Amino acid sequence: MEQKDVSLSGKRFPIQLDIAMYKKGLYKETDKMSDLICGNYPMVLVTSRFGIKLGFGEKNIGEVCRQNGVDAFTFLTVVNFLTEEIQSATEMICERISVDTLMRYLHNAHNYFLDFRLPHIREKLNEATSTCQPEVAVAIHDFFEQYVQEIHKHMTYEERTVFPYVRNLLDGKVMKNYQISIFKKRHEQIDKKLSDLKNILIKYYPGSGSYMLNSVLFDLFTTEEDLISHTRVENELFTPVILSYEKRLLM
Amino acid sequence: MNSGLRIAIIEPSYMIRNGLELTLRKQSGLPISVVIIDNPETWEEAIRIHNPDILIVNPQALINFPVSHLRKEGFCPKLKIWALCSAFLPEEQLLLFDGQLSIYDSLDVIKEKFKHVLEVEGDSAEEENNEEQQSLSAREKEIVICVVKGMTNREIADRLFLSTHTVITHRRNIARKLQIHSPSGLTIYAIVNKLVELGDIKQ
Repeated sequence: MEQKDVSLSGKRFPIQLDIAMYKKGLYKETDKMSDLICGNYPMVLVTSRFGIKLGFGEKNIGEVCRQNGVDAFTFLTVVNFLTEEIQSATEMICERISVDTLMRYLHNAHNYFLDFRLPHIREKLNEATSTCQPEVAVAIHDFFEQYVQEIHKHMTYEERTVFPYVRNLLDGKVMKNYQISIFKKRHEQIDKKLSDLKNILIKYYPGSGSYMLNSVLFDLFTTEEDLISHTRVENELFTPVILSYEKRLLM
Repeated sequence: MNSGLRIAIIEPSYMIRNGLELTLRKQSGLPISVVIIDNPETWEEAIRIHNPDILIVNPQALINFPVSHLRKEGFCPKLKIWALCSAFLPEEQLLLFDGQLSIYDSLDVIKEKFKHVLEVEGDSAEEENNEEQQSLSAREKEIVICVVKGMTNREIADRLFLSTHTVITHRRNIARKLQIHSPSGLTIYAIVNKLVELGDIKQ
């Protein structure tokens, strides 16, 4: 980020110039929302987590965001971060991002994983393994249940401890016994085990394959990636933004 | 698979050794790490510690420390020694080295020389890798069974008369070979491969 004075017809306007803004591939408010999704289909998960409804018509990203009551800057920051056009939370991002919007996004992502994605995979996994040796099916089932429980625990901690802390912070209340650095330290990876399951199915699954099993595998691949991106947003966007917010509040 | 080339430099001239280091590290664009060994008293030890793939040394610096010292048995057997030449040297002296660089070599020539080494190294590393990817050894299978039964590293070590350190190394190798990192993942592996039965685990 660089601040430059740009001269325009003799007058000098201080204009914030984000060098990255001019890089190819960075999404802007004036890009069509439908182009964003078509060019990068996992972004459909992002729009839905921001509470943006499909049926964009020809509207651009800025218009769609306003229509849905979503802060466009926050939306674009997440989009550009996930497409790796933005590498880290710059000072400008920390100042301008809507923490509330970002938190709602993370919260909706948790709901998505816990209430939709994982139960859905469980159902398909049970169906796909119903024809293989009962012992193996039971072991796979147990493995998955254990994994779901871990994810529940992980995300519940964020919902019950981290988010309330941040909400208080936004209200100007500083809690003495908690800081975002605690979260930063104990925040663990949650995709590893899913990758284990994927490898087991690919390398050692003993039954005959089926379309359902393939479909489960596809789900595992996409969910693993989705979880990795989710953790990245928490670690590299959310946490630095809150850190900077804490700093400003305590200064 | 290239994990990179480790280079050590022995050269009395400050400018030459630092220039060479910078060239290799910054300008060659190759996966190379470089250390400079500047204290003649501790050469041997420094080489042993850094364990470089290639030692680049100015032959004139070796007057009191002949190449044969570095070739003696048991001392870094895979070490290659290259001469860093700033003048013409007698042929027989050059024959003692595995390769040579001249201080007048262009960047392209330098790059070519290292690229060649990297390719040769890469081939042998790949062979090792292929061997590594084979299935579990009998010992590793025993360890999988213990892990799946919920034993701790200590318990496994006692049962199999190993040190816990060895158990941990085995477990790391197992995780790498199978690409399964969790004990519950190993359970599925063990059942699928009939190393255990479900009844053995659910006690």
